Amino acid sequence: MKLNPVYKRETTVSSRSFRLALILAIFNTILALVVLLNMYSVVERVKLTAEIQYSSFTNLYVFVAAVEFVMLMFIMPALTAGSISGERERQTLDILLTTTLKPWEIIWGKFTSSFGTMFLMIMSSFPLLSVSFVYGGVMIHDVFILLLCYLAVALLCGSMGICFSTLFKRSTIATVVSYGVLVLIGAGTYAINAFALSMARMNIKSTYVMSVGGMADQTNSGAFLYLLLLNPVATFYAMINGQTGDSQVIRSLNSWFGPHPDNFIMENWVVLSIFIQLVLAAIFMFIAVKAISPSKGKKIRKIK
Amino acid sequence: MMLEIKDLRKKFGKFHALNGLDLHIPQGSLYGFVGPNGAGKTTTIKIMTGLLFADSGKVMIDGTDVSRGLNDLKMKIGYVPDFFGVYDNLKVNEYMEFFASCYGIDGLKGRTRYMTLLEQVGLEDKVNFYVDSLSRGMKQRLCLARALIHDPLLLVLDEPTSGLDPRTRFEFKEILKELKEQGKTIFISSHVLSELSELCTDIGVIDQGKMILSGSMEEILRRVNATNPLIISVLGNKDKALTILKSQPCVQTIAVKDEDIRVNFIGDNQDEALLLQQLVDAEVLVHGFYREQGSLESLFMQITDHDKEKAVLVHEIESGL
Repeated sequence: MKLNPVYKRETTVSSRSFRLALILAIFNTILALVVLLNMYSVVERVKLTAEIQYSSFTNLYVFVAAVEFVMLMFIMPALTAGSISGERERQTLDILLTTTLKPWEIIWGKFTSSFGTMFLMIMSSFPLLSVSFVYGGVMIHDVFILLLCYLAVALLCGSMGICFSTLFKRSTIATVVSYGVLVLIGAGTYAINAFALSMARMNIKSTYVMSVGGMADQTNSGAFLYLLLLNPVATFYAMINGQTGDSQVIRSLNSWFGPHPDNFIMENWVVLSIFIQLVLAAIFMFIAVKAISPSKGKKIRKIK
Repeated sequence: MMLEIKDLRKKFGKFHALNGLDLHIPQGSLYGFVGPNGAGKTTTIKIMTGLLFADSGKVMIDGTDVSRGLNDLKMKIGYVPDFFGVYDNLKVNEYMEFFASCYGIDGLKGRTRYMTLLEQVGLEDKVNFYVDSLSRGMKQRLCLARALIHDPLLLVLDEPTSGLDPRTRFEFKEILKELKEQGKTIFISSHVLSELSELCTDIGVIDQGKMILSGSMEEILRRVNATNPLIISVLGNKDKALTILKSQPCVQTIAVKDEDIRVNFIGDNQDEALLLQQLVDAEVLVHGFYREQGSLESLFMQITDHDKEKAVLVHEIESGL
């Protein structure tokens, strides 16, 4: 199979750089220290009390999975936001576009190389995740769902970074905007729901019913909850809670924004949200391809 | 014809970058594309290379319409922009290999091709050097080799020698001449007009999105010379010469400086010969009779009458660019 030339070049350059090895070493060292110290404290507690707390190992799994998730969310845009704007800054984008490479091949090559770097980081920390399986842990299919969740967030954050990289001339601006939009999706959808819930509670408080029936506990954020389908943090929270605690995803979300009716969306929350995030990623990639393709409306930029 | 442009138009907002541009470049020619800043040179190049779409008009390269068969045409065009476009942390051979694979040329075929090209541009001993460690001149030659990796028929160069020292510029010109001899059609946009007049076989002057002058270099220079004053050097008997000159309908103005008489003469070669004959018949001792040599710079100044551009050109001429 013929390798994408952009992917090949990017991996050659990044593997030559000392930075990647350093990031891998620092990240895994910190993670390993936390995991091993935790493990040590659990074993010491066993020696003292002769009681094994299996939940500690599950907590370890949650901790490592959450750290990796956060890392994915924050590193992926940084890796990709400079990809196309970097080509522009180096003034190599126009040269690439005059070759027989298609715009989507350039975007795909850039994305896969960043994704490859990220995948290497995730896989390198998987042995630490396996520590939780010493005395229990989760089922193997749970690990696959976790990987799927990682894949979705990597695709979403990566495609978002690449999209803004094509829309903005400077890498710094593209990175800032990527993080801004990520925060908007992550915290924004949460804030909207929190606001909707508080408004609903205020409305209930003003009625007589609440005083006699305790209706405030039954209030919820309404249809705004479905905005959380876009939010990878909500997906991860629901998934990890489903794996380690409540087997029902709906309970995790209800604990945030009040009880919501049980329906098809709530029952298949994780799968649906992953699907929606993948669609969103595809839209970002499409915009990126369109943005670098020569078009009638594109203005020329000549840097002397 | 290798390149044919017909009534090309492009607008950016209210600004007309190209306003019905026509251009014809014969196969195997070295075409100089000249124009003041903002005249539409880069827009034309971007449309030719498929980086920009025109609002209307036609661009045909080797008989194929750019707007329809751009993918096939990309194999026929090699583009050298006015910047180097190199990657850090990449060696010369990797850089060439990367662009070879961008054109689908892989493996041994690619290696053989880029080694031949690196030899041609004199970089064969820099194969294992990092691209960012090369000098400006070397980077420019590497970019030229990169643009030739897929053996294009038409080579498009946008201000290729800007910022290069005279020696590197000379070497670069020699490579271009060699490429022309190999049968490549070369389209070169430049501000350094003296360089173009030495190098190019054909030239086109663009201003405000329109081609205002186009033709072979010989023809253009002949036209430039025809507008220049006639210098007549006489020994003694200057009054007699002046009397004859004043009686000539083709003579517009006369200026005398030492032995030389500068005459603004609007006649053709035959009129010039007749004038000389009259002077000799009247026993005026003529020891010099010639048209002042014109330059591309003077022509450019005449036809693109923008004060700003004149200042740039004057600076270029004075600094010997």
